[in-house]
Amino acid sequence: MSTVASAEFWAFVGVVSGIYTVLALGIQLEFGFAGLLNFGHVAFMAIGAYSMAILTVKAGLSMWLAAVLGILLAAASGLLLGLPTLRLRGDYFAIVTIAFSEIVRYVATNEDSLTGGSQGTINLSGPGAAAQYNGQWERFQAWLQQTLHIGAKDAAMLLVVWVVALGLTAALALAMRTPWGRVLKAVREDEDVAASLGKNVLAYKLQALALGSAAAGLAGCLYAWQFSFFSPDDFAPLLTFFAWMIVILGGLGRTFAVPVGALAFGLVFAGTRFFDFAPFSYFDSAERAYLRLIVIGLLIILLVLFRPWGLLGRRQEALLE
Amino acid sequence: MLLQLLANGLVAGAVVAIAAVGVSLLYGILRLVNFAFGDLMTLGAFVGVYANVAGGIPIAAATVVAMAATAALSVALEYVLWRPLRARGARFMSLFLASIGLALILRQAILLVAGPQPRSFDVDPYKVYVLGDIRLSVGQALAFLVAVAAIVVVGLLLGLTTTGRSMRAVADDRALASVAGIHTARIVVLTWILAGLLAGLAGVLAGLVQSSFDPNFGFALLLPTFAAVVLGGIGSAYGALAGGLLLGLATELSTWHGFLGGVDPVYKPVVAFVVLIAALLLRPQGLLGRAVRAA
Amino acid sequence: MSGPPILEVRGVSRRFGGLWAVDSASLSVERGSITSLIGPNGAGKSTLFNIVSGFLRPDSGSVLFEGRAITGRPPHRIAQAGLVRTFQTPRALARLTVLDNLLLATPCHPGERLGRLLLAPGAARRRERQAVERARDLLRLVRLERHADDLAGVLSGGQRKLLDLGRALMAEPRLVLLDEPMAGVNPVVRNQLLEHIARVREELGVTFFFVEHDLEAVMRASDQVVVMSQGRVIASGPPSTIRSQAAVLDAYLGAGP
Repeated sequence: MSTVASAEFWAFVGVVSGIYTVLALGIQLEFGFAGLLNFGHVAFMAIGAYSMAILTVKAGLSMWLAAVLGILLAAASGLLLGLPTLRLRGDYFAIVTIAFSEIVRYVATNEDSLTGGSQGTINLSGPGAAAQYNGQWERFQAWLQQTLHIGAKDAAMLLVVWVVALGLTAALALAMRTPWGRVLKAVREDEDVAASLGKNVLAYKLQALALGSAAAGLAGCLYAWQFSFFSPDDFAPLLTFFAWMIVILGGLGRTFAVPVGALAFGLVFAGTRFFDFAPFSYFDSAERAYLRLIVIGLLIILLVLFRPWGLLGRRQEALLE
Repeated sequence: MLLQLLANGLVAGAVVAIAAVGVSLLYGILRLVNFAFGDLMTLGAFVGVYANVAGGIPIAAATVVAMAATAALSVALEYVLWRPLRARGARFMSLFLASIGLALILRQAILLVAGPQPRSFDVDPYKVYVLGDIRLSVGQALAFLVAVAAIVVVGLLLGLTTTGRSMRAVADDRALASVAGIHTARIVVLTWILAGLLAGLAGVLAGLVQSSFDPNFGFALLLPTFAAVVLGGIGSAYGALAGGLLLGLATELSTWHGFLGGVDPVYKPVVAFVVLIAALLLRPQGLLGRAVRAA
Repeated sequence: MSGPPILEVRGVSRRFGGLWAVDSASLSVERGSITSLIGPNGAGKSTLFNIVSGFLRPDSGSVLFEGRAITGRPPHRIAQAGLVRTFQTPRALARLTVLDNLLLATPCHPGERLGRLLLAPGAARRRERQAVERARDLLRLVRLERHADDLAGVLSGGQRKLLDLGRALMAEPRLVLLDEPMAGVNPVVRNQLLEHIARVREELGVTFFFVEHDLEAVMRASDQVVVMSQGRVIASGPPSTIRSQAAVLDAYLGAGP
């Protein structure tokens, strides 16, 4: 391998991994614990990010308040989606969630006046003005750097993202040890048994979906703050699949595996950037991007073939599925 | 105007219907939600366009080449990927993930070889067939005729031939079919061949209808395809056909100004999804699907 | 065993396709009794259980539990009202521990509701402690205490049946519907369980209604026997009466294996 990239690059990888951790924790809750097949997860990330940006720029709210509202809106959207559709059988629900996420992306792309359209949030104040929602965040970051004597801006972002990510990981792990978590797991294993013991299965599924969507909304806000500008294409279905992959690669139902899976994923994704040796050296950079994804695709297949319970999952549990 | 929309809808719907049958068969017989199907369609379109434009052969022959390519790849993958996975006891989640990995590989490979620029088949873009009030491009007309023919053939195959009936039997109840003496391993390979052929055909036809396409278009088509399968009722190939046609029609007709002013054409895919969601709320098992019993 | 019946099924019918799985079935179960439901395979017993417990809607007829109509109500509400059922195939929650399987059945657990859990964690913890004690007692009863912390998926078929039974009892029901609770369980354990069921009935007044194929056990242990055949209830009464009724013999001999 050629020269290792700068610290800034790896800090960036770390931040993105952290954001993915938060996103993937939502999937861990929804699928790993409650058994829901939500393939539209990225839509709630978009709702969180866009709500925050729109409320800040257009409604003039404090960015922090807008972020909280964005997360709540994401959760509410999850509830709204789930109420009529969670009664459907699992695979139908999955298709409907994909449909929902595409609808969200379509609305974001085409409702220029609301979302800035395909050009993204820079367009939120209308053409000619470069809208920014990030002011308060920048100030917060600067304050953090000063207070904690951190030099680099990236380091501050890295710290914030991972404090949030690890905090959420711990919270989820704790939640799943409670009786509430136990009911969720029962719903995943056998809805009929859960119902026969007096559990309102639909209510629990809705709670999981709402909370998972809130996590996605939070990931959306973090994403928005990291990149200070975004557009609908940033929320492609591919992100949902990456979140799913992280959860499954780490090990289904193993909460602490999520940050590990996200980091591994980030490292593989970024690390393949440095494959300078043959046969990679024969391709130009655009082509190498394709190759990297091929490598990732191959890795997924190999993992599914040889270690389907994930890096940190328990073999026994996978066999009992 | 309305008739034109109807025609457009039927054309688009017929193409989706073909893809939907392929997806439906794979799910019904192999319990596999194949996310790589869209990219398989893209492969078909690209092989077809290379044969047609670079190779200079006429579209009909190019289509056959494309279908052969996708069918061959599908069978190869059955031996290299799907069979080993099933032998390891892979269930829904593992199969699904593997298909995502496969989709990634396929699409990136196409991008690598062909590059991201859009392609077109060698048809006269200005030529238009006029039938009364309806105008159809060469691509649309061709695609529609072939699609209808293919639908009829597939319908007959599934309904009248022993193989077809065996396929439906296996889709209904694999264990029972096995006991009844239907050779499931053979049916599996035949299913892949048929699904592969349909994917290649759907890809070429979609490329003709769209008049220009890039390596991402297959996946974009996959979602309406899934919608058609679900609308028609998972497990029913005929349902998939009906679902595809219905969605195509609904999507196009929704832009008619007589329908509440008409939906903005940009939102056509959204219409498809809304139709799907509404239909499922009214009839959760899909049009021709069977209701699932509780407990 | 006095007072109005705890369960009344009135003219319940349900068809699948062209077949009437349950055909105008009527029966009543006396409070505090041990009642068995017998009949050849395909008689509609499980379908009836599904209808009574809310997992299936009848096409016609009504079901009353403790005098109140429960027809068509969602299964979890019926369970909360005190009617708990087990399933014909053992349904252990494989990836939960055996203990967790039982704890799941704890009625009125504040720790299971997100709101109460966050606002009153102490109450949740107390209930959980109580529940664990009770669960361990029940595990001892069904001879599964050694497996308390194992994943339920490692249990054998017979052991899973016992788990189902323990779980049903854990829910503190007033009526328990047991669908072939003793299938695959060895005779010694089976007798102990029947004894325990009798004791629970004596001490707590819990009513038991079960489907069982072991006719000897049925005749010995039940106060009341209901016979179904081809979706209909063809006889109902104390074991001695049923034993001698020709119709019953016909159903068993005529319907074949």
